[in-house]
Formats: sequence, C-alpha cells, structure tokens
Amino acid sequence: MDTVFKGEHLLPGSIGQFFIVLAFGSALLSFISYFFATTTADKADNWWLRLGRIGYWLNTFSIIGMGVCLFNILYSHYFEYHYAWSYTSRTLPSYYIVSGFWNGQEGGFLLWMFWEAVLGNILIWKAKSWEKPVMTTLALSQVVLGTMILGLQIGSMHIGSSPFLLLRNAMEAPIFQNPNYLDFIKDGKGMNPSLQNYWMIIHPPVLFLGIASLVIPFAYAVAGLWVRRFKEWVVPAIPYALFGCMVLGTGVIMGAFWAYESLNFGGFWAWDPVENASIFPWLFLVAGVHVLIVFKNTGHSYFTATFLTLMSFVLVWYSSFLARSGVLGETSVHAFTDLGLFWQLVAGLSIFFVITVYLLVTRWKEMPITKKDEETYSREFWMFVGAVFLCLSCFHLIIVTSVPVWNAMFGTKLAPPTEPVKHYNVIQASFAVVIALLSGFTQFLKYKKTDVQRFFISTVIYLIFSALITALVVYVTGIYKLHLVFVLLMFCSIYSVVANAKILADALKGSFKLAGSAVGHIGFGLILVGALIAAGARSVVSINNTGERYNEEFAKDEDPRENILLYKNEPVKMGQYTVTFTGDTIEGAQHLFNINYQRVEGNKVTEQFVLRPNVIQSQGGMSSSPDTKHYLFHDLYTHITMTNVISSEQANPDADQHGPADDDKKYDAPIAHEIAVGDTMRYRDGIIVLKGLNKSAKIQSIPLTDKDVAVGAQLEITTNGRKYNSEPVYLIKGKSVFDFGKKLEDAGLKLRFTKILPEKGKVEITVYQQKESEKKYIVMKALSFPYINFLWAGTIIMVLGFLMSIFRRNKEVKAV
Amino acid sequence: MKKSSIFGIVIIAIAIAVIISTYSNTSTYGSFKDARQTSSELHVVGKLNKGKELFYDATKDANYFSFYVKDNKGEECKVVFAGTKPQDFERSEQIVLTGKMKGQEFYASKILMKCPSKYNEKLNVTEANATKSASL
Repeated sequence: MDTVFKGEHLLPGSIGQFFIVLAFGSALLSFISYFFATTTADKADNWWLRLGRIGYWLNTFSIIGMGVCLFNILYSHYFEYHYAWSYTSRTLPSYYIVSGFWNGQEGGFLLWMFWEAVLGNILIWKAKSWEKPVMTTLALSQVVLGTMILGLQIGSMHIGSSPFLLLRNAMEAPIFQNPNYLDFIKDGKGMNPSLQNYWMIIHPPVLFLGIASLVIPFAYAVAGLWVRRFKEWVVPAIPYALFGCMVLGTGVIMGAFWAYESLNFGGFWAWDPVENASIFPWLFLVAGVHVLIVFKNTGHSYFTATFLTLMSFVLVWYSSFLARSGVLGETSVHAFTDLGLFWQLVAGLSIFFVITVYLLVTRWKEMPITKKDEETYSREFWMFVGAVFLCLSCFHLIIVTSVPVWNAMFGTKLAPPTEPVKHYNVIQASFAVVIALLSGFTQFLKYKKTDVQRFFISTVIYLIFSALITALVVYVTGIYKLHLVFVLLMFCSIYSVVANAKILADALKGSFKLAGSAVGHIGFGLILVGALIAAGARSVVSINNTGERYNEEFAKDEDPRENILLYKNEPVKMGQYTVTFTGDTIEGAQHLFNINYQRVEGNKVTEQFVLRPNVIQSQGGMSSSPDTKHYLFHDLYTHITMTNVISSEQANPDADQHGPADDDKKYDAPIAHEIAVGDTMRYRDGIIVLKGLNKSAKIQSIPLTDKDVAVGAQLEITTNGRKYNSEPVYLIKGKSVFDFGKKLEDAGLKLRFTKILPEKGKVEITVYQQKESEKKYIVMKALSFPYINFLWAGTIIMVLGFLMSIFRRNKEVKAV
Repeated sequence: MKKSSIFGIVIIAIAIAVIISTYSNTSTYGSFKDARQTSSELHVVGKLNKGKELFYDATKDANYFSFYVKDNKGEECKVVFAGTKPQDFERSEQIVLTGKMKGQEFYASKILMKCPSKYNEKLNVTEANATKSASL
C-alpha cells in the first residue's frame, strides 16, 4: 500500500489488534501451562501453575483492552473501521452505541470471551484443588474463542474475523483509491432498526453470560474424568450448573420479551431456528442438573449425569454454529450470515465433541456405574425419567431445526415443516405434559424408598384439586377449543404449580432445604400456564369488518381480515374500541404513529389511551415496532403493517414546488360551487359552510395598494366530528385576477376562491378533495394476549428458585 | 426384564416416532409445476418479476397483495398473499414462498425474502407471515 490515507485514526485499531493477538497468545500459554500443571507428577512444583495463572490474567487484561479500543472506535464514530460503519451511525443515540458493540458476530465473541475471563478468575480464586484441570479446559475454550476474532489472512483463507478490520480492507470499491476517501464517508450504515430497543442493551450480555457459564460444569466433568476423581467433581459442579441454567434461561426469556416488545412477530416465541438453538443447551443442562443431584444423593445414573453435563456445552457450540455459520440460510429470519467462519466453527464444535467422546470412551470401564435398578417408588427414578424427557424434547428440536444441516450433509432437499409453529407446538406440548406431571408428583416421593400409600393419597388429592382449577381456567380462557394436548398440558402445569406449592408450604414449616426446588418448579409451571394461555387464547382485535374486499374468491378461502385500514382522523370501530389514527411524529430515527383508543359504553367514554407504535427507517429498510397497552390480565398489542405516510413523503418531499398542475393530480376533479354567505356545500367527507366574506384580507409577501381588491372567504369545514377554518383569498391587482387557494392537509382538502359573482350576490368556491388513495392512512394489526403476565412472573419465580438452590448447593460444597 | 431396559425401549420408540413425525411433517422445495400437482403446501424458491405489476392497495383491501414470481425452473406464476405488502419487497433478491396452488394462482401463507444490502456485502433476511396467526 503506497497510498497514504488522510484522516484515519489507526491507533485504536492497532492497539486493539495487538490485544487480540496477545489475548490469543496468553490463552494458549495459560492452556499449555495448566495442562502441564495438571499432568506433572511433582506436586511441589508450582511453576506451571503460576505461569498458567499469569497467562489467564494477561488474557483477561487483553480482552478488557480490546473492549476499550472497540468502544472508543464506536463512540468516536471512526467510520474507517468496518465494524463502526456497519452497525452505528452519528444519529444513533449514544446508549445504543453499547448495543452496537455486540451487534456484529465479533462483538458477540468478545462478550463471550469477556464473561469466560471473569468466570475463570472466580475459579482461580475459588476452585482450590480443582483449579489446574478445570482451568485447563477454560483456557482451551479461550484459545478457541480467540481464533474466532484473530482476523489472520493466510493465503486465500482467513482465520477469524477481527472487529478492528478497516473498511477499505473489508470491501473492494474504487472509492478506496482516493486518499481522501474518508471525506466521502460521512456516516455509518446505522443499526438495524429492530435492534434499536432497550432490551438489546441488556439481553445479549445476560445471554452470553449464560453461554459462557456453561463451560464450568463441562470443565468440572472433564476434570473429574481426566484426573480420575470420578465422584468428587459432581458436588462443586452443581452450583455452577444451576447458575448456568438460571442465567441462560433468563437470557433466553429476555430475548423472548424483546421479540414481544419490539418485533412484529406477533408473539414472544416463533420457533425460529435461532431461538430453538438457544434453548438446546439449556434443556440439556436442566436435565443434567437433575441427574447430577440424583447421583449425589443416591449414586445412581453416573454416566447419564456426566454425559448430559458434557453434551450441554457441546450443544452451546452447536447452537453457535447454527446461528453464526450461515447454514440456516433461508430457514431463519435472524441467523447471521456466513463470515467465512463456517469451518472454524465446525472445528470448534469438533474439539469439544472429541474431548467428550474420548473421555467417555477411555474412562468407561472405570466409571462408578451402579448395576442395581432404582426403586419404582423413588424420587431418583422419576427424576431420571423427567431428565430423559427433557432430552427427548431437545432431541426433537435439534432434529427439526437442523434440517438445513442434514441437507448440507446428505445432499437432500428437505424443507422445514410448512406450519412449523403448529408442528412444534403439538410435539413440544406433548413432552411438556410428561415433564410438568413429573415435576409435580416426583416432589412427593423420597429418595430410595417411599411410603407408597401416603404417596398415592397426596398425589391423587392434588390431581383432583388441579383438575378442578384446570376446568375453570380452560373454560374461562377458551383453551378447550384447542387441541386436546394443550388442555392436558394446562392440567399438568397447574398440577405442577399446586403440588409444588404444597411442598413449599411444608418447606417453610420444616426444613427449608427443599424450598428452592419447589419455587423453581412453581415458576416453571407458571411459565407453561402463561405461555399456553397467551399463545393459545391470543386473539386478533383488528378484525376488518368493513366488508371491503378486493377479490371475493380469495377472501372466501383465506378470510384475510386481520389487518385494518385507518384513514387519518377517521374513527373506526374495532372490537370494543373505537380507534383513530390522529397523526404521526418523528423522533430521531423513529416515526411514531399516534393511535387513539376509546372505549365507549352507552354514551360515555369509559376508557381512553393513546398507543404509539413506531416505524424505524435505517439501513435502507423499515422496521415496525409495536406498542402495547399492559393490563393486569391481558395486553393489547398494536403494530403498523403498512402506511403511505412515510413513502409519500419520500417520493415528493416538496410537492408544492412542482407547480399547480402537478399538485392537482393528487386531488379528484375539482367541483365548483356557487354559494352565498351562510350556505352549505357538501363534499365526500363532510360539509363546508361559508361563514362570511372578509373584505380586508391580507396576503403575505404581496403589498396591497388602495386600488387592489382582496377578499377572503371564511369557510368552516366539518368532517368526522372536527371543525377546521380556512380562508382562501380572491385578489384583483391592477388588471389581473389572482386567487390564493388554501390547503387543509388534515382534512385532505384544497379550497380555492375562484370567482365573485356580484350580479347573483354569490361567490364561487372550487373544492378539491384528496383522492381516496392519496389520503394518509395506516394499516395496522392489533392483538390481544391474555394472561401473559403469568409467563413473565413465572420466569422471575423460576429464577428465584434457581437462586435459592444455588445458595443451598453452595453450602454443601463447603461441607465436603 | 429389568425396568431400565423397558424404559430404554420406550424411549427409543418415542425417539423413532419423533424422527418419523418430523420427516412426514417436513415439506419439500419445489417449483410451481410441483405445486400444481399436489394439494399440500410446499416451499417455492424464486425471484420476483420486477417488470410486472405488484398490486397492493390498502384502500381497496388491506389484506390482499399480489405479484409475479419466476421460480428456479423459469416458470412464472401469479402469487397472492393474504396480508400487507412486506416492507422493501421490491428490493428482494430471492423469495421463498410457502403455500399452495389454487387454480392458476399460488396462495402464499408465508414469504421469506432475501434483500441485498448496500454494496452487496451481506444479505438480510426478512420474513412475512400471513394472517392465520392464532394457530396454536
């Protein structure tokens, strides 16, 4: 490169790139040192251990350094960097600069590495005798993640994609021949509009903390098998596994909440491949935690516990591969496209998979596997069964979500199910029935041996009790109209809540130890109840009853009535509301539409509120975000599906300058009315009354002399219950006659005072009314989600349950 | 027989059932010609014919959108979608339609489009779903 480019800020990028290499190098050093620290026979020699720690600390330091550099680039709007140019712009509010940080894949990896660094430091501090083998795995994971952002170019292939890549190196364009090219790049592309939401600031860090924390139980399992401390690893791993479940679960639900609040999916879960992929590891780890506890208490199911713990982390990599490699291609809305990391992701996945298989195979014979069967009436047996069903549910998700992967592997041409939502709902609900039922009655069982008679009595009593509640809920919400499996699921979920409430009541009286699990299961049950009612009894409010159909035949088959058309200021009755599109305002990149909701009973307005769904334009695209009215027992959700407000503004931003002829095209053919003062004219949307004539009208920018005559017609327009005033002017100046028409944008009118007819004592007013299609309108969709608060409340309760369990299990670690 | 073996067999049976039901639920990618020969829904991949009319007029019917698509075999067909026109539809480079044939028209229940972003550097995918939303 001989060209010297002007105005570039290369320093933060160079420092950042240096940190990337340093992070990779130090992670490698740490991995090798910890590896030898574990394998070396001389226990007194701490040299390797110290080197391993130094490597890890250096790695942590470099990651923070990278973060600072990247943030500096984004915050200072250095658009010479591809990352800043792609994801941010000058108009982006500064708090979204933070979400710009993890907008790209590189930032996501950086966040993952950051959390892993933090967790690693906690382990260095806490893990004691486990530090060496456990940290070996963590350091290895940091090495693999480090390669993802290296951005090394070796021949035609490149390793990793660096966030500090310069724009001129990222793409080929003639503009980069110019040393002053930066003068032409005034602004970045800006952030994808659907990501401009406050949930995008908090959701990714939580999700990535969850993803990163799954390495710890994996590392403990690997360490246990590797150094042959087969039974010991389980107890310290349980709190970390619970932590992983809690944080990852929270992160996923936050994503669901973001989708609900800001996307126009029309829901909180759409069974999109990327959404599915995010819960693979969660399902496996939740199953794993249960079996780990089984093993700890009874010594049963060692292999399953180890296998699930190991696989949950392998699935983290598998879901990263699905989301980031571009393999999902045309099946997912929000999969990343290929950054050229496909084979690197496959390699990362393979490393951890091979470790898992290798350890399980080589240590198979030494594992403490029991030969004895569990008792039928024992808690461990049914917990095991529940865990297996969680895995089956995950197995189904993996099989269907991976259809594009099977196609790539076997050259088949399968397409995903045509009605994926229905497909997933029915099958996943069937698994959930079993899981919810088990999470209820298993709580009545004891480890090893239970009093069968008492167990059956309490189980049956609560079953009957829940059946009664279910009957009521199903009747009130209308769930009974759905597939039988959903009614069953409702029953089992309610049973789970009720049974665990009983356990919680007992726990509060006696041993508090079981409280965590009871609370967690209550939360899980409530999540199921909330999701079931909200999705199942969801209804469309914006039913189009106008009877306007373009194509009768089509309408007969499809009954497409879910979108409703609102002209500006024309109230429309929608369900129990009267809705009016009253106007729009622009705030930054957001284009907000004010929609006035009124509920009228009799002649009284009982309720009135304004919803402001918005449409964001960015990156040349439009994205529509809903606005929601939250009630305690249901949500009213509204979003714009179409509008002519934005596009028409773009097409002719200054229509007035095109001359009158052009302007008139926007109106229907004019109608001239001859009227006297006090007369009324009718037009399509209302009436116009000539109130009087103003003999001393004034016109801006035209000075009038005594010889000139200027008359204003004082008109009052009434349309849709609103009154407007307008005063077009008729002017005789010298020997010429002019008229100055007036526009009323809100009423869609143009009024001209075209003649004075003194002999008749009348004047002529010409009325132009806007074409029906030129009137400002929006098309919107409104949905009602009943009882969705159960879903969010259930999540909070479940997190609380996990938290209580973490504290309890953490105490057990100290006792050992 | 041991209880765990019975349980194992049950689980394997369920797993097989899942695979079969998945397989029977998956559809295929096809052309308009294939769509004409079957009554079930399928996916058609094609390109928007930008030369022909895209019809959407909210003032006439807010839930009717029609356009012409040329599938990968080169056959062209009129497509009707029961919803609003997806944003930036004209800019789409490739379209994946889900739906079935009704007479000479293809009724799409879902449109998935890929739009080229500036500089053709990355592809953005967006999705539009037709009406039948409360289908749990």
